[in-house]
Amino acid sequence: MKTKSVVTVLTLMLAVVFSAPCSGQNDGTETLIVAGRGGTHIDGMNAVKAQFEEEYGVKVEILALESADLKQKISLNAGSKTGSYSLIMADDTWMPEFCDADLFTNLEELGVKGDSDFIEAALNLGKFPYATGDLYALPIVGNVQLFFYNKGLFDAQGLTAPESWEEVLEAATAIRSATGKDGYLIRGQQGNPIVSDFLPVLWAMGGSVFTGDWMANVNNDLTKEALSLYIDLLNQGNNLEKNELVEAVSAGNAGMSLGWPSWYISGETSSAAFAPIPTRYNGGSNPAGMIGNWMIGIPANAPDKELAAKFLEFITSSEIQKEMALHGGVPSRKSVYEDPELVARYPHFPAQMSALENSVARPRTPLWSDVENVFGAELSAAVSGLKSIDQALADSEAAINRIMN
Amino acid sequence: MTCKQAPSAFTLSFLAPGLLIFAALTIFPLGFTLYNSFHNLYLLRPNDLDFVGLANYLDALKDPLFYQSLKNTITFMVFSTAAETVLGLLLAVYVHSLGKKTEYLRFLIVLPNLVPPVTIVLIWQNLLGYNGMTNRIIATFGFEAVNWFMNPKTAMGALIFIDIWQWTPFAFLLFFAALTSVPVNQYEAAKIDGAGPVSSFFHITIPHIQSTLVMVVLLRLIDSFRLFDKVNILTKGGPANATVTITQFIYQRGVGNLRIGYASALSVCMTLIVLLLGIPAILRNFRKEN
Repeated sequence: MKTKSVVTVLTLMLAVVFSAPCSGQNDGTETLIVAGRGGTHIDGMNAVKAQFEEEYGVKVEILALESADLKQKISLNAGSKTGSYSLIMADDTWMPEFCDADLFTNLEELGVKGDSDFIEAALNLGKFPYATGDLYALPIVGNVQLFFYNKGLFDAQGLTAPESWEEVLEAATAIRSATGKDGYLIRGQQGNPIVSDFLPVLWAMGGSVFTGDWMANVNNDLTKEALSLYIDLLNQGNNLEKNELVEAVSAGNAGMSLGWPSWYISGETSSAAFAPIPTRYNGGSNPAGMIGNWMIGIPANAPDKELAAKFLEFITSSEIQKEMALHGGVPSRKSVYEDPELVARYPHFPAQMSALENSVARPRTPLWSDVENVFGAELSAAVSGLKSIDQALADSEAAINRIMN
Repeated sequence: MTCKQAPSAFTLSFLAPGLLIFAALTIFPLGFTLYNSFHNLYLLRPNDLDFVGLANYLDALKDPLFYQSLKNTITFMVFSTAAETVLGLLLAVYVHSLGKKTEYLRFLIVLPNLVPPVTIVLIWQNLLGYNGMTNRIIATFGFEAVNWFMNPKTAMGALIFIDIWQWTPFAFLLFFAALTSVPVNQYEAAKIDGAGPVSSFFHITIPHIQSTLVMVVLLRLIDSFRLFDKVNILTKGGPANATVTITQFIYQRGVGNLRIGYASALSVCMTLIVLLLGIPAILRNFRKEN
């Protein structure tokens, strides 16, 4: 009898413990959950969400996740019949992989359109197939790589912002020989960093990672010349991790580097001078600024798609993007970049819009993350001297083709 | 006469919660990982699940990066464990020899092990970074700055150094506790018999702390085999895969590329290797206890 009572009490205690999380308070208000990438743009979204909450009588919860964590959570969510997220943010390079797996809702079916005020290069990233297909996501963070340089070091050597990669090398050599400081900094950490840092050089020369039929296109004279120039630039400077790189250029310990605007520009001030990434080399000119937008879309298994579509239109509208820009948001609409009040406040807006309009997207293949891994490792081997340029690019070509086939 | 009783309902009721939690948090994930390793699970298409037999394992065996990550992990494991064990033991013997009133010294020695791992990584990112304090000190002596994390010759060494800084205190703590249980009269008797400090160390100290020594080596081997945070933050496996480890390789394939089937096969391989490392020492301890 005593044993039975103890067992009963223990069972009840266990039942209470395990049921506790299920009995949380619920005031009946619908909650719209946005899985987002942490950063200043989340501050912007949080700053404006109250207007939507008030208008529609819902609660908006925005999760600020680290990039890899966000990708994993989005992917895990894709397996459920009814997902947890009403909207998700995605790096533009994930779009082909996500759209290929039918992860997003076709926005046109929900009546959401990408109007002509969006910068075309940014809007194209949300279409599948790229630029020509249906719309699956809208750009919410209009990032694009820029060329940053230390004005003090440039002025001291009588240099101006370079327009060609030959001028970049000349400027780096001049700074190095006159001051002993690093002329040019590469971001040569293996994987995404070195690939993002090298591709603009390759693109400016007219190169590309793939042929039109998705075969690797890196074991050729053009890519060898690009990698050779990249290593020449390294020889006039250094290979640093992002934070050190920004600190060095900002403090005048290094001449120049490529970078994303938010690294150097905070609010109204920039710690280094900036210009679009040089597009010229050997008399030719090709777009070279890497676009890197964060997109926002509605998962195919979102709980309330109609409401999510309303929020999507709200958060990407011109009026709201202007407000978000005041809280650290990076716009993707022309009208926001051209707004006189904002231009007066953020002098980098015209250069950033110009760079966005002439930007290049990374290859639109669902296998890009695998390609980036192997290409990044080979580039890293070349810049660290473990492999010759010829060997690294031959190995890259073989490895990329193994992935693509 | 042996008396074997079946556990009563009362006993089982106490064991049940623990067994349930063990099954939910250990047995199920292990079984699920094993199941996934025989399937082509791609996280974005969880319903397109096909049985692929040993294909994921064969892919791993054909992948040069798997061997590279294994080699790097073993290098890291051997050097860090050896250094942490030796330094931890020497520190413990020294502090123990100081006698009483060493609380503050012990606290200072243990301090690095109390700092959260990510904080440690960020501290050393600043100290060993190109513009960090280490290079500034080097520069004052007229030497060129070293790019510790970007140079294939120094990157692995830098990671091992940080691990030694973090985990030597842990070894010290266990050795110090073991040393306090060594009977002092044995040292006194050895001294009377003419034994020196080195002889006493090898003939009295080591035999008494042998099980702790095995435990420290085993724990550090297993833990260092799982190296991830330092690599993922400081080097991302580079330069040129010089620091890619098994866990980082699994993370890259599983979380980065969403290929859970393949990452599961790699995880099963890693678990088997850790078991192979641990079983001899565990069996040895069991035999001793019996």
